[in-house]
Amino acid sequence: MKFFQYLLKIDRRIIYIVMGILVMLPLIKPLGLGVTSGPRATALFDAIDALPAGKTILISVDFDPSSMPELYPMLAGVMRHAFAKDLKVLLCGLWVTGVGLADKAVTEIPPEYGKKYGEDVVYLGWKAGVDAVILGMGENIKNVFPADYQGHPLDSLPMMREVQRLRDIPIAFAISAGTPGYQDWLLFAQSRYGMKVGAGLTAVSAADAYPYLQSGQLTGLLAGMKGGAEYEVMVQKKGYSRAYMPAVAAMDSQSLAHVVIMILVIVGNIAYFATRKRGA
Amino acid sequence: MHLSNSILTWIAAILTIGIFSFLWKDNPFYKFCEHLFVGVSVGYSISLTWYNAVYPDLFNPLFLQPFSAVSLGRKLLLVIPLILGLCYFCRFIPKVSWLIRFPMAFVLGWASGVAIPAYFQTNILKQMQGTFLTPGIFSRWDVLLWAIISFIGVICSVFYFFFSKEHKGALKVASETGIVFLMVGFGASFGYTVMARMSLLIGRFQFILGDWLGVIK
Amino acid sequence: MKRSIPLAICLVMGVAMMIQFFIPHPISVGFYDLTTKWIRIVGAFALVLGTGSLILYHVDKLQRRRQGWYYSIVTLVAAAATAVIGLGWGVKTGSPLQDVIFSNLLVPLNASMFAILAFYMASAAYRAFRARTREAALLLVAAFIVMLGMVPVGRAIWGKLPELAEWVLSVPNMAAKRAILFGIALGAIATSLKVILGIERGWLGGGKQ
Repeated sequence: MKFFQYLLKIDRRIIYIVMGILVMLPLIKPLGLGVTSGPRATALFDAIDALPAGKTILISVDFDPSSMPELYPMLAGVMRHAFAKDLKVLLCGLWVTGVGLADKAVTEIPPEYGKKYGEDVVYLGWKAGVDAVILGMGENIKNVFPADYQGHPLDSLPMMREVQRLRDIPIAFAISAGTPGYQDWLLFAQSRYGMKVGAGLTAVSAADAYPYLQSGQLTGLLAGMKGGAEYEVMVQKKGYSRAYMPAVAAMDSQSLAHVVIMILVIVGNIAYFATRKRGA
Repeated sequence: MHLSNSILTWIAAILTIGIFSFLWKDNPFYKFCEHLFVGVSVGYSISLTWYNAVYPDLFNPLFLQPFSAVSLGRKLLLVIPLILGLCYFCRFIPKVSWLIRFPMAFVLGWASGVAIPAYFQTNILKQMQGTFLTPGIFSRWDVLLWAIISFIGVICSVFYFFFSKEHKGALKVASETGIVFLMVGFGASFGYTVMARMSLLIGRFQFILGDWLGVIK
Repeated sequence: MKRSIPLAICLVMGVAMMIQFFIPHPISVGFYDLTTKWIRIVGAFALVLGTGSLILYHVDKLQRRRQGWYYSIVTLVAAAATAVIGLGWGVKTGSPLQDVIFSNLLVPLNASMFAILAFYMASAAYRAFRARTREAALLLVAAFIVMLGMVPVGRAIWGKLPELAEWVLSVPNMAAKRAILFGIALGAIATSLKVILGIERGWLGGGKQ
């Protein structure tokens, strides 16, 4: 009885320390559990894989550094996939704090495949206005972004000669940490211009996206760090990339963290009900 | 272990530890980091808003481009959003603070008008289509069964939120069935939220152990 | 006049944009292009307004020497320095704003702020998550299934667990979330109509003006 009462009153900092150590350990000594891909990630992968060479995909970078561990691996994975398939990549963003992250991806990833900026990849940057940005791009991308992020006029970029508006792009991949995000692409790009939309979301918002998946409005979903890991594994399995996979490396820690949370909940409930019974 | 020899990585690591120090106790170092974060975010937003929005869309075409590049008519049309935008700053002048209503009216009216057909098509029509007319639901018995369960779940969950009538009789049964589905939905969201929060922590540990301390790749 | 003209603007813009959705005529599309451009410009000013409000708050705190006023110096100096560096040296790839400030200040601070939530969640799960009712127990069971099924250890425990988790997400979770989506969409449409028609006037602010 005293033991259960002690358990209920345990200092929260002890929980923090235990949590921290158990999450760190698998990073240093991996458990080797492996990652298999689910149907939602596979649907998105197949949709991009089916595109013929030379087509352009749009990636909307709608997240900030706080969601980087979950969403950056998705951005990197999809870009690597696209370049391996000789697809062109057009990036834009609805979050001002996502600019640096998109810039980092555009700087680091294309050289791995010998891709040139302006011919194979263009980063448009960020604009204020969310729905106004998407709706404007639907009519004419140059009206919204007369120049790219680096200040080059879009007319001077060879890739942008074939891509004038959203209808010229077969699929948009919205990587979102919240609002604005994939829902705005569905509301404005898909409802008005019939654009296919895939989503990469933080795990917090992933469960809310299932109605859109079921109705066919979303073509595939990458959910959280696991989604990023699934995509990394698929890209590697097909031989499109041999880069380091940070999301896959984190999955063992993720597994152990979930088990720890479950144990904490169970122990907390046992202690609670044990003390309550005695008290009654 | 290979400690990083980049001063910037050390600064990033020290700031990370500063934020984490709040777990032990609130302290001046954490408060410093918190206020630094707010300040840097504000400065970053100002810089990007100028270079990505205000300069290319307004300042450059209105004041810097010659009439041969941007006609007088187009320049005059840009004066309207400039005036509307400047009205926002009237908020700081009590005598004319009512002028902020003009840009707000414009933005709210525009956004509301654009949202209505979009929300109706995306979140009502298409969702209703998905509830009633899913392609291929008769292809297998289990697909049909899950479609029926989903249909019952959607209807009963909608009934739970219907508060115009007391939940009695058939409405009570539907509402209580709806609660079951809602609890499963919230449980799924909680499970995913655990994943999200843990991922962010793992990401920070990857930076500390990898980039800073060099313990992992 | 100070209230009726803004209400009239709101009504005209709202009705115009609703009707425009259904009219593909070039004049309609031209109007749509023009107004979207104006909204982007006005939206940028709104961001500056938010920034200005924050700066004024900290300046006021500094002037009145309220508790913790010295931290406001940190905020104001950081904001000024970052803005000067960004406006002076640009925001492109390789600029000090991106290479130094974003990568080594903003990223670790922003990421760490949210990373500590994991610890709070562990503590909250231990102290507060009690299966006191059947509904709470149901919520817990669903959470455990998804938590285990969505990570590799779930497959190691039971090969069918990931499929069970996928079913929980695709069927009962989907149904519940769709019902909530209907409610949100109907609420958003109702609120938008109220704003356009001038029934909802909270945005006008108070006062006799």
